[in-house]
Amino acid sequence: MARAVDRSSLRPVGRPARLAALLLALLAPPAAAGEALPRVMSLNVCTDQLVLELADPAQILSLSTLADDPDLSFHSAAAAAYAKNRGLAEEVFLVRPDVVVTGTYSLHNTTQLLEHVGTKVETFDYAQTLDSVSGAVRRMGKILGREARADAVASAYEAELAALSSPPAADAPTAIIYEQNGVVLGSGTLADSVLKAAGFRNLVAERGYAGMAPYPLELLVRDRPDLVLLGSPYPGGPSLADQFVEHPAIASLKSLRRKGIAPRGSWACAGPFTIEAVRALKALREEMAAAKGTGG
Amino acid sequence: MSPSRLSSLLIVLILLLFAGSLLIGPAALGPLDGLKGLFAGGEEAAVIIMREVRLPRALLGLIVGFSLGICGAALQGFLRNPLAEPGLIGVSATASLGAVLIFYSGLAGASMLALPAGALAGALVAVLVILAIAAGNTTTLTLILAGVALSSLSGALTSLALNLSPNPFASYEIIFWLLGSIKDRSMVHVWLSLPLMAAGWALILSSSRALDALTFGEATAASLGTNLPRARLSIVCGVALAVGAGTAVTGAIGFIGLVVPHLIRPLTDRMPSSLLIPSGLGGAALLLAADIAARIVVPARELNVGVLTALIGAPFFLWLVARSRREAT
Repeated sequence: MARAVDRSSLRPVGRPARLAALLLALLAPPAAAGEALPRVMSLNVCTDQLVLELADPAQILSLSTLADDPDLSFHSAAAAAYAKNRGLAEEVFLVRPDVVVTGTYSLHNTTQLLEHVGTKVETFDYAQTLDSVSGAVRRMGKILGREARADAVASAYEAELAALSSPPAADAPTAIIYEQNGVVLGSGTLADSVLKAAGFRNLVAERGYAGMAPYPLELLVRDRPDLVLLGSPYPGGPSLADQFVEHPAIASLKSLRRKGIAPRGSWACAGPFTIEAVRALKALREEMAAAKGTGG
Repeated sequence: MSPSRLSSLLIVLILLLFAGSLLIGPAALGPLDGLKGLFAGGEEAAVIIMREVRLPRALLGLIVGFSLGICGAALQGFLRNPLAEPGLIGVSATASLGAVLIFYSGLAGASMLALPAGALAGALVAVLVILAIAAGNTTTLTLILAGVALSSLSGALTSLALNLSPNPFASYEIIFWLLGSIKDRSMVHVWLSLPLMAAGWALILSSSRALDALTFGEATAASLGTNLPRARLSIVCGVALAVGAGTAVTGAIGFIGLVVPHLIRPLTDRMPSSLLIPSGLGGAALLLAADIAARIVVPARELNVGVLTALIGAPFFLWLVARSRREAT
């Protein structure tokens, strides 16, 4: 149905378009003589990651400014080569991309404005887990006209995740991710799925906390998980939130406390690279088991 | 009521509230486990919760509340103005601004010691500005308007400084600095602020005789042999120390210094000197009570204690304004 509508709406402009394609084919270098890939603009740091994984460099018009932040963007080194946008509709009008990719959660007004003026906008869900990665990769591949590459990346990821993941047993070590200001990552979050794949029990998820939720310091002390993963201080400047994870009550816990275990940016967004966070946490769990074996 | 009887009653009230503050919290510890954890040790979790989480919180409620109460009484006596209070005349907001500027600019690294230094400087500037405005025999209205202007300016600059910080958490901390909270503080904060506050209390109490003489006006007080420049210096530095040190670790908590002296005054002989210590004790009781309420009003989500003190204080303030208008006409 949708296809039929598309075709009929194309018909009146069919001839000029064909003419333009012919002109393009004549002007373009032979290597790009096939159908030109859609030129893409990404407004969100998480779609930036997928674009960088999959797109041909010539396709990328610009990425979000956060793509340069190594704590949020796993591919920040690769992102350095591209132009950046601040996610403003005006920037999109100036560049006129074939497609805009962004997150559902971010810059909602911009998305609506762009769709209103007829720009093609593809939004990706903010709620991500390890299971949603290959679907998002394949979808982005389709949007970018890079289906074959996306399929290869997604299949490799699925195989690696299956080989690596070891769902927690009942006696598995317990963990709590305790970020700035006492915010924990409960069920449904990417971090929760990473913890489970690495063989940890996420205590706050078991207590019914979902998403990002404040968790009183007293309860963390009462729970005494085997592992507390603390948020790393943000490099930009001091904040009280960053000092909070230094609270003496946390320091006096006997639990293992760690900061920055997962490689920088590896689990800020979900992507094939999130496998590196699983790998790092699994190594930590095995280290803890070994220490327990020899020490106790 | 005799001064000693009033103070004893207030101390009993504080002890009850202090115990309540220690025994209420999300980790449902029994009173016995809690007391054992606090004094005798025992189970690890109970010890840490009592000594590292709840004790500093209760102590800060006590000493910050005392500071706000005694400063409110001292300022109302010194400026002979029933609406003078650290929050309303802009001292708390400017102390917050000082702490924010020093801490978030990273000038002092991420050191906690930077907070009181900045807050004391901010509080001192505010008290001096208010005294300069009050010097020319101004009306209540001028003083309060100047305080409102100073508070708004400091609040705006605090928000601006936090929004400009490259750390994304900083802009969420506007709430803390403008509304105040004593949640999840540690003994570090207590040791950081207590000596400075105690020095402030001592300076204010040292000028209690001058405050009494000032009730007859500056000229009469001077003729009675009061050393006015010295008294002024003591009050300025005392308020800056007590409010600045408190604000550095809890953010700006408003209205306690306004409400408490008015509640206590009818129970005393109405001399400023006999109001100082009872007001401090009353302030401690009020902040402890407000902080307990902040924990239990909405169980799943803690409120900022400054929200509650404003909910109590702002209507009271309006009532005072209405009453002073009635008396003027």
